[in-house]
Amino acid sequence: MVSRADVSAVEIERRRREEAEAESEEIDRTPVRSYWQLVRRRFRQHRLAVFGAIALVVLALYGIVVPIVTGGAWHQTHLFLPEAPPELFDKDGNFTFAILGYNETGQNLFARLAKATQTSLEIGLAAVLIIVTIGIFIGSIAGYVGGWLDNLMMRFVDVMLSLPALFVILMITAFFGGGNVWVVILAIGITGWTTAARLVRAEFLSLREVDYVQAARALGASPRRIIIRHMLPPALAPIVVAATLGIADSVVVESALSFLGFGLGSQEASLGTMLENAQNYFFSGPLKVVYPGVVLILIVLSASFLGDGLRDALDPRQRIETK
Amino acid sequence: MGSYIIRRLIQAIPILFGVAIVSFAIVQLSPGSPIDRFRGANVKPETLANLARLYGLDQPIPQQFVSWITTFLQFWRKEAWGFSLVDGRPVRDVIFQRMPATLLLGGVALGLTIIVAVPIGILAAVKQYSWADKIITTFATVGYSIPSFLLGIYLLYLGGVVLHAFPLFGMRSLVGGGSPLDIAHHMVLPVLSLAIQQIAGWSRYVRAKMLEVLNQDYVRTAKAKGLSSNRVTYKHALRNALIPVITLFGLTLPGLLSGAVITETIFSWPGLGQLGVISVAQRDYPLVLAFVMIGGFGVVAGNLLADVLYGVADPRIKY
Amino acid sequence: MTGTRAGAGPLLEIRSLKTYFFTQDGTVKAVDDISFQIAHGQTLGVVGESGCGKSITSLSVMRLIDRPGKIVDGQVLLNGVDLLTKSDDDMRDVRGDQMSMIFQEPMTSLNPVFTCGDQIAEAVQQHSTMGRREAWERAVEMLRLVGIPDAKRRATEHPHELSGGMRQRVMIAMALSTDPDLLIADEPTTALDVTIQAQILELMRSLREKNRMAIMLITHDLGVVAEMADEVVVMYAGKIVERGDVKTIFGAPHHPYTQGLLRSIPRLDARVDRLEVIKGTVPSPLNLPTGCLFKRRCPQRMAICDVAPPVRDLGRDHVSRCWLTPEGEPPEVGAETKGAEAEEAAEALTVGAR
Repeated sequence: MVSRADVSAVEIERRRREEAEAESEEIDRTPVRSYWQLVRRRFRQHRLAVFGAIALVVLALYGIVVPIVTGGAWHQTHLFLPEAPPELFDKDGNFTFAILGYNETGQNLFARLAKATQTSLEIGLAAVLIIVTIGIFIGSIAGYVGGWLDNLMMRFVDVMLSLPALFVILMITAFFGGGNVWVVILAIGITGWTTAARLVRAEFLSLREVDYVQAARALGASPRRIIIRHMLPPALAPIVVAATLGIADSVVVESALSFLGFGLGSQEASLGTMLENAQNYFFSGPLKVVYPGVVLILIVLSASFLGDGLRDALDPRQRIETK
Repeated sequence: MGSYIIRRLIQAIPILFGVAIVSFAIVQLSPGSPIDRFRGANVKPETLANLARLYGLDQPIPQQFVSWITTFLQFWRKEAWGFSLVDGRPVRDVIFQRMPATLLLGGVALGLTIIVAVPIGILAAVKQYSWADKIITTFATVGYSIPSFLLGIYLLYLGGVVLHAFPLFGMRSLVGGGSPLDIAHHMVLPVLSLAIQQIAGWSRYVRAKMLEVLNQDYVRTAKAKGLSSNRVTYKHALRNALIPVITLFGLTLPGLLSGAVITETIFSWPGLGQLGVISVAQRDYPLVLAFVMIGGFGVVAGNLLADVLYGVADPRIKY
Repeated sequence: MTGTRAGAGPLLEIRSLKTYFFTQDGTVKAVDDISFQIAHGQTLGVVGESGCGKSITSLSVMRLIDRPGKIVDGQVLLNGVDLLTKSDDDMRDVRGDQMSMIFQEPMTSLNPVFTCGDQIAEAVQQHSTMGRREAWERAVEMLRLVGIPDAKRRATEHPHELSGGMRQRVMIAMALSTDPDLLIADEPTTALDVTIQAQILELMRSLREKNRMAIMLITHDLGVVAEMADEVVVMYAGKIVERGDVKTIFGAPHHPYTQGLLRSIPRLDARVDRLEVIKGTVPSPLNLPTGCLFKRRCPQRMAICDVAPPVRDLGRDHVSRCWLTPEGEPPEVGAETKGAEAEEAAEALTVGAR
């Protein structure tokens, strides 16, 4: 749906520009904007989305930079530092960056949280990559070919949607995993592609009937070319939105898994393992439950703001209309 | 209507069959064997072979699948869903024994969700851009973004550890528990951690639908008739806005049946969800398979129920 | 049920009505300082391209403008009473009783979850002391009146069970069920097939005679106006550019825009090879030209058009917002006149709001 309007919006813009040029003696001062200029402008107007984008960048930088600066501090235990208070330098004057203090085994919490943020975001990104790849593959074939193949694929999607997703992920990680990151990523990826596939399929079904696709077909373009050149680009907007929201979902699922003890091993640092570990020290150090939780909520909030903003910005129908 | 339901039930068969195949495949593909737990230095190979024969593991996989699914369908028999590999009890009995706790928890959470979410969703839509709307929308956005397991942990900490107001785990007090009041006391935290996210989601949905409906031409017609704004909102708009909410009800139903896996685990609620997690951890395959099948059944039943209710509520739909 | 019928004054009089929309991109003057009146039993056609503000005018009269729109100035007098100063409650008593409205989209203008009879009876009950049963009887009677066969059964059906033409008849039945003095019809036939269009127009005409009501007919279809209206208002970019009785507007249009509109409809009595169209499109409401709003598209454009044109009195209640003299010649002040001199000339030539 989005894409058809998308095409027409581009078309309207083009016509408008031609008309503006035709009026040679007097230039219509209506600002003529390209689709992407409009998108950028609408996105910037969406304050929460901008906040989301900035917050995600800051979190990503935190996850990348701090582990580099602090080296192996995230996993180094210090038997003489259990539950030590926050500090910037240790007693020898070395820079530690332990502004959140130490946990019960003397690990630098600030560094560990950074590593956990990094791990969780990596898992989220990797899982979404799998989700989008499978989703585009299945969705575009089903939507382009149609007929019995479409029917078969959609019944398979129905089956996938009827499975209790989280439980199946638990099964896969428990039976195949043993704390392996890749098993966790794969488990999230191969259970989560249905929404993406449905989106792509719906786009393709409507695009198949659009004039310029019919024209390309009439001109004898190969299906591969039609799909990649003509149908995928307009279908990308909803995929981008779905992927953004998918990152948040994947991060949450990973945390839940690790929290239940089915995801990463407790030696690894992820938001889920930190939560699980902290829960054991509920009574002594409750702040340790708060830190990874706050990061998790920030990721989810930012991604959903960003997703909402992208959806609004990429949807050309949302132009301000007047009667 | 009757023939429609029958048609839908027939359509559900291949889907449930697919669910069975996928879950069976995951179990089959997983490394190791169900009888690995019996291996040991002083267990004779013959014993293991006997066990394998007992569980039908010596047969080809397709045959194993057929025999599993055919016995599974005979749910009226005690042995239909197999026996737990851990304690040997009939899986069917274990599940039915756990079901009431799950239904109670999910049902109360759903009830609370409907009671709270529908009115605040309507309020936010009717008073769009007002302070009430801003507060509700903010709550809904944040509430929806806090993963329910995280909310569970925080509620447990706040209500159980800091305030000492609620029990930390279980459904009944260990000593002298079991009265309705005692169970209600135990339910407060898990219900809240389930309901808050649902309320957030539902109220957002109700608000969106209500706003959508309030912009419809027929609402303008109703206003042009000179009806009061209350009558326009609560008769003409609300009736239309609530129809799609039925879909949410259908989506919530499977969770009601198979339980909230994480919330039940956090609060050690003796329901199906917690059982599911334990059975996966213990690789109790018959139990795991039964759990997946119940989940699949819940989804199919929820969709069917939603569609049927939709037809009742919306005069445009005829079966 | 009907308001007092004042003998003397006009039924509806609009004075300097301004309805603006305050959007993110700026203020849109959807209706900008328009004035006209409708006498009892008279039909006024309001024509213009889409986006010219004709629908907003009708919604402003009904006071059904929602955010971000707002009526910022002017008066809407119904039987001499200003509707814009009424409280919301008092306005509700007028709406649907003294004046009713039918809309462009019969497919979406009826509530899908209630029966047609219920929806008409609701309007009846709102503005009378009738009970449920009586109101229902009235609803069935109205359905019969608008020519719906088997009205008793149709009343129990939901809108989706009826065709588009039937639904528009239901809308008309609903609008007329309270016997209003004024019926506002916003493109009542646009969404319908041609044969159905003719039927609906015929129905409205016969009901107009029967009920002696006035009609404000909003349309972009000049054929419909020629057939139905006594007087015509031509709108362009939120302003009235020409107003006159139907014979004058069709016979001797003054404004180049009206002339363009008339040339763009096919005629049987004159053979032309190609229909003329008005070049260009309606200017963006956020960026209107200075001076005459139509100048960019006008075939007779002059330098003086950069100054807002006067509203000329052309006699016999015929006015036009254009620099051209009543004979269609360049203005007395000179086509090249600019600045203060032209502004003064415009002021001198403009007729005051009637």
